[in-house]
Amino acid sequence: MNLMLAPVPAGPSLADFGKDPLWISIIKAVFIFVFLLLSVMFGVWMERKLISRMQNRYGPNRAGKFGLLQSVADAVKMGLKEDLLPRTVDKVLYTVAPIILVVPAFMAFSIIPFGPMVSMFGVETPLQLTDLPVAVLFVLAMASIGVYGIVLMGWSSRSPYAVLGGLRSSAQVVSYEIAMGLSFVGVFLFAGTLSTSEIVAAQADGGTWEIAGLSIPLPSWYVVLLIPSFLIYAITMLGETNRVPFDLPEGEGELVGGYQTEYSSSLKFALIQMGEYVNVFTVSAVSITLFFGGWRAPWPISMWDGANVGWWPMLWFFIKLVLVFSCFIWVRASLPRIRYDQLMAFGWKVLIPLNLAWIMLVATVRAFRVEDANRGVIFTLAAIVLIGCFGIWFRFDTVLQRRRENRAAEVEAEFEQLRDEPEAGGFPVPPLDLPHYHGADRKEVPSGSN
Amino acid sequence: MELYVPILVLAVLAAGFAVFSVAIAPITGPRRWNRAKLDAYECGIEPTPQPVGGGRFPLKYMITAMLFIVFDIEIIFLYPWAVAFDQLGVFGLVEMVLFIVTVLVAYAYVWRRKGLDWD
Amino acid sequence: MGETITFWVLAVVSVSAALGLVLSRRAVYCALMLGVVMLSLAVLYAVQDAPFLAAVQIVVYTGAVMMLFLFVLMLVGVDSSDSLVETIKGQRFWAIVAGAGFAVLLGLAVGNAVLSPPAGLLGATQTAGGNVPALAQLIFTRHVFAFEVASALLITAALAAMVLTHRERLTEKPTQRALARARFLTGGSVVLPGPGVYARHNANDMPALLPDGSVSELSVNRVIARHDVEDERFPDDPKLAEAIKQAVEEESK
Repeated sequence: MNLMLAPVPAGPSLADFGKDPLWISIIKAVFIFVFLLLSVMFGVWMERKLISRMQNRYGPNRAGKFGLLQSVADAVKMGLKEDLLPRTVDKVLYTVAPIILVVPAFMAFSIIPFGPMVSMFGVETPLQLTDLPVAVLFVLAMASIGVYGIVLMGWSSRSPYAVLGGLRSSAQVVSYEIAMGLSFVGVFLFAGTLSTSEIVAAQADGGTWEIAGLSIPLPSWYVVLLIPSFLIYAITMLGETNRVPFDLPEGEGELVGGYQTEYSSSLKFALIQMGEYVNVFTVSAVSITLFFGGWRAPWPISMWDGANVGWWPMLWFFIKLVLVFSCFIWVRASLPRIRYDQLMAFGWKVLIPLNLAWIMLVATVRAFRVEDANRGVIFTLAAIVLIGCFGIWFRFDTVLQRRRENRAAEVEAEFEQLRDEPEAGGFPVPPLDLPHYHGADRKEVPSGSN
Repeated sequence: MELYVPILVLAVLAAGFAVFSVAIAPITGPRRWNRAKLDAYECGIEPTPQPVGGGRFPLKYMITAMLFIVFDIEIIFLYPWAVAFDQLGVFGLVEMVLFIVTVLVAYAYVWRRKGLDWD
Repeated sequence: MGETITFWVLAVVSVSAALGLVLSRRAVYCALMLGVVMLSLAVLYAVQDAPFLAAVQIVVYTGAVMMLFLFVLMLVGVDSSDSLVETIKGQRFWAIVAGAGFAVLLGLAVGNAVLSPPAGLLGATQTAGGNVPALAQLIFTRHVFAFEVASALLITAALAAMVLTHRERLTEKPTQRALARARFLTGGSVVLPGPGVYARHNANDMPALLPDGSVSELSVNRVIARHDVEDERFPDDPKLAEAIKQAVEEESK
């Protein structure tokens, strides 16, 4: 059995960037900008339409064919709304905060690969605005600047709901950012780079598994190789963008509108909404780049030679983006919102330890493959870690078991007590021999005789 | 250097758009003054008077922020380690296990003292 | 050329932000100015071919440390302007000593950079195959001890946060069950009346009606009632006005 992973360099790599003339960069930047604006409009329409169909409604169907122009109508309406500036707000920060939220959201999209090298007006250039040696870290950096927008929006509004909403959602976003950052590590272990174009290239070919003279092609997308990483990332995607079921900041029942309570539905509010949608598209695009092979065509299409060259890959990328975004909507239609303490406990107590354990597992397996000489060391190490994990698990399990038994005993004891003396709990209990009413024409009979 | 120029172009575009939207918002909309509109929104009841110096908030968030820093730094170490893992080999693995176990000591302590619980 | 322009632009931005940080009296503005300074530093690192350092500067300093500052500011009351009373004994003296020491260090660093020919970051990292792998090679081989000590520092940070801010719960958190029981045992009102079938409004300022048409005092909103009594602004409905007065009287008792 010979298991080998040989990433074939395919598509652009880091060396292909930074060679564009300025006008090509401007064209690409304008394209991404317009693309994001349009996809926000399309996304709002699609979300409303799809969730309506999932709930047996029609959804928007008045403005334009299939209600496609609904977002345009909404944007115009928001432009014509009064822009309130409540008395209590901190005027400077209240105005600046939506800008701080939106700009990093747009910037994070600059390292997303849309396709391979193409010829654009006679210039050979990759279909990606730019790439950095630390591209994925750049996305995290932009996300952490975006959090400022949320905190400042909440604080500058100076009203209880807004401040609480701002604090809550920023705490949520930073908590899920940790789990998100950790879920990338597995990908870097396999790809050996932080640059997005090279991660896509590393997913071009999964190598083959040769067994008994047969060579079986292995899956190359990291979503298959690193399922736990992807699942954790998928959860943090929802938490990071404040989407259902983690849309606590917008929990109307408790916080009205959260950090955006004081923003009237003017263009400022439109900007906030746009920032949130762009964030959703960014995390979706990152998931495609890191786990779903980026712009590469999925299996049946990839048999065709022309699938991964020229302008076609952009189409695959868009299709994947729409599919991932649909999953966001699907989740929104299916799941209820969870409680805040559950949200934080899930992020800190489940996602992070699981993530670290998974990283160590991947690294150990990887170390096997890299060096043949030191297997003894790795075995000892793996054994120690495994025994440690079992020990912790055993300890927790016994503690939890004891706690469960105690609680059951308590309930049992209380039940016994209440059976003997129903009034003990303080609740109004009707006496057991209370006469029952059996209709107008029958006389009342004592309890127990029916 | 050249790698960052396109990011700058996109940033200028996005910032221009955002500033433009914020700037024209008061111009395009109507202005109908009304005392209630200028109050903070609290579901129809009169707004709670805000204490001078801003309200105080639970210290809870401080622990979250501190743990965020701790794990952020751990992530920062994990990334180059993951990228260069094939060159570092077993030695790198042992190092990182030691590092993570040490950080997990703090994590376990915070968990045990119920620092991760929200009331 | 591009580097020079960036430097001069950022020099102006970061120095004025730093001045704003020192001169602004409002804590949140100070924190934001500090954020601007840190971002400018990050851009400078990026321009100097240190992309990893730039990203770390943003992720750790601007993202995490500054967020801690902001949270702390929100905890202690954001608008509280600085108190100018010096509480540490000999603060000025030690500040001057620390400043002088920092100046010496800075002078040495600058002198080192000026006197010895610079190798150039791009050239130095080229052999290891890029910025990030080169850093990894250094951190995890030559500076491995410092790396492991960093984890001890992180423990200290987490412990400090716990010791300084965590308040242990002395009693069990009351569950819904316990609260319901307590309510019943004290014999108070168990559930506040809702608007009911006789209600014609569900607004906050409209109290619930009992089956006989009278107003349920329990449902009068205390905040609104207090304002109404203070402003002597009673509704036309005499029953409601009576209920409001009664509610406020009861509360003041």
